[in-house]
Amino acid sequence: MGRLSDTISLSEIKKVVALAKLSIPDIDLEHFFIEINNILSHFDKLNHLELKEVSPTSHISWSQPPTNPDESREWMGREELFSQAPAIIDQYFIVPKVVDKQEE
Amino acid sequence: MDIDTIKNFTIKDYHKVYKNKEVSPIEITQFFLDRIHLLDSSLRAFLTIDETGALQRARELEEKKLGEADLPPLYGIPMAIKDNICIQGLPTTCGSRILSNYRSPFDATVIEKIKKAGGIFLGKTNMDEFAMGSSTENSGFGPTRNPFDPSRVPGGSSGGSAASVAALEAPLALGSDTGGSVRQPAAFCGIVGLRPTYGRVSRYGLISFASSLDQIGTLTRNVQDTLTLFTVISGQDNRDSTCAPYPPFSFSDDLPENEIKKMKVGVAKEYFNPGVDPVITQRIQEILKILTNEGFEIIEVSLPHTDYALEAYYIVAPAEASSNLARYDGIAYGYRCSHPLNLQDLYTRTRTTGFGKETLRRIILGTYCLSSGYYDEFYLKGMQVRTLVKKDFEDCFEKCDILLTPVTPHLPFKFGEKSHDPYQMYLADVFTIPSAMAGIPALSLNCGYHQHLPIGLQVLGAPFQEGKILSFATFLEKTLSVPPPVIKSVNLKKEVL
Repeated sequence: MGRLSDTISLSEIKKVVALAKLSIPDIDLEHFFIEINNILSHFDKLNHLELKEVSPTSHISWSQPPTNPDESREWMGREELFSQAPAIIDQYFIVPKVVDKQEE
Repeated sequence: MDIDTIKNFTIKDYHKVYKNKEVSPIEITQFFLDRIHLLDSSLRAFLTIDETGALQRARELEEKKLGEADLPPLYGIPMAIKDNICIQGLPTTCGSRILSNYRSPFDATVIEKIKKAGGIFLGKTNMDEFAMGSSTENSGFGPTRNPFDPSRVPGGSSGGSAASVAALEAPLALGSDTGGSVRQPAAFCGIVGLRPTYGRVSRYGLISFASSLDQIGTLTRNVQDTLTLFTVISGQDNRDSTCAPYPPFSFSDDLPENEIKKMKVGVAKEYFNPGVDPVITQRIQEILKILTNEGFEIIEVSLPHTDYALEAYYIVAPAEASSNLARYDGIAYGYRCSHPLNLQDLYTRTRTTGFGKETLRRIILGTYCLSSGYYDEFYLKGMQVRTLVKKDFEDCFEKCDILLTPVTPHLPFKFGEKSHDPYQMYLADVFTIPSAMAGIPALSLNCGYHQHLPIGLQVLGAPFQEGKILSFATFLEKTLSVPPPVIKSVNLKKEVL
């Protein structure tokens, strides 16, 4: 895999997939690799614009965002929040062991 | 009540028959539930139908015995809600398997407001997963059909909401619009869709896709109902810091016709390129002639960076999505993979098997655009182009009051026609993305039919100028007299099943 015109290489895409906490089998990764390179190839158009003096717009804001008073508020009980969890015990989330044998 | 009577009803008409005791909110709610039972096994607009809750709510409203003058603005009006807006106690899946077992523990601000205004919720509607798509083909629960032709897509991502209103399974609905997800399905289903100014409607309780672009919008069968629903849901909310600190939209007096005709109508040449279906261009040219004959001044304007907005959007939106969707980790809510080996395996397998293909593609794309060494090359550039697109509109609205464009370059397309090539699908939103990037309000109006398929017209305005857009759209709706959709049945041929 890998073409001269590719913007992202297969090894880079593997790194990005790992950063995004995904695990995509190689056979599917090839499809993503081709599709994402196709999408990225269209982005090249933006290189034709002179952007040096242009400030970025991260979001649209019409006024100074209001702030809330610094006061504690009741929202909802722990039980209601925990009711959505896939695995709990005594109001704790159950997760696999996070310390591996070498660290024990 | 039958469909031939109800097809032209506005909210005011429902209130008239309620006041005259011709029919009750329970009967109207039952009418729409019966329509859902009749059509939705083929149409598949709904992911959740809350029959018990809707009838219970209608009963409570009737028991209140309100006086004629006291009817709140949405009293007894059943509604469909896109499945990325939280209603307490009901599922909110976002069209994703990863949230298939999630039930909202709270109401979105818009839902609170609609409840206060007397609205009734029929259920939650289908959508492209996490609102990423233009056809509902990306829903984790199967696509919705276009009521006009079930072999074609209803548009997306609010395809379920748009199809339900067109098929009169609901008289009005809420959707969300990040790059065109209210306006494009409204155009494909022959109804009215409004994307308000960014910050005009609270996003609290709307599940995030790209926070700087997401906006809740309305889908209705006529402009009058858009106005009523928008008035109810707009206004400041201290639970959404991006919500503009202004009071709710108010439109107490209809503008007189001579005032409407003083509006300068802009037409941007960039929206009438050879890639647009000639049927759409021709219909808009006809409308411009009608407007000229009615005395409107038509001005040619230019939005020179239109052609760059799509690419900039597909940097900015996936970048924000990759960050927003990091929360789906299989720990606190939603789907978790079976028998995880360790914490990393839990995260990666939950996310990889829980998300659909388009969502995975955008997470990868967004993560790449934000990653070290590529931030300046992609994300920064996307934000700079956004500045130019916004400036284009600012310059344009110094010369005209409203802008008319097509909503989509094509009429509703067939299932599978674009799903094999993501970039071709992205182009479906090429005329709705620039205004979303600029945060300005925009409305999609059915302006005619071609071979029984609806044609959408987009009316754009300056920030917070929804009043101008709605006045103009009301005038145009009256002048064009395009009949609203009437769907008697949704006949599926074998090949589309």
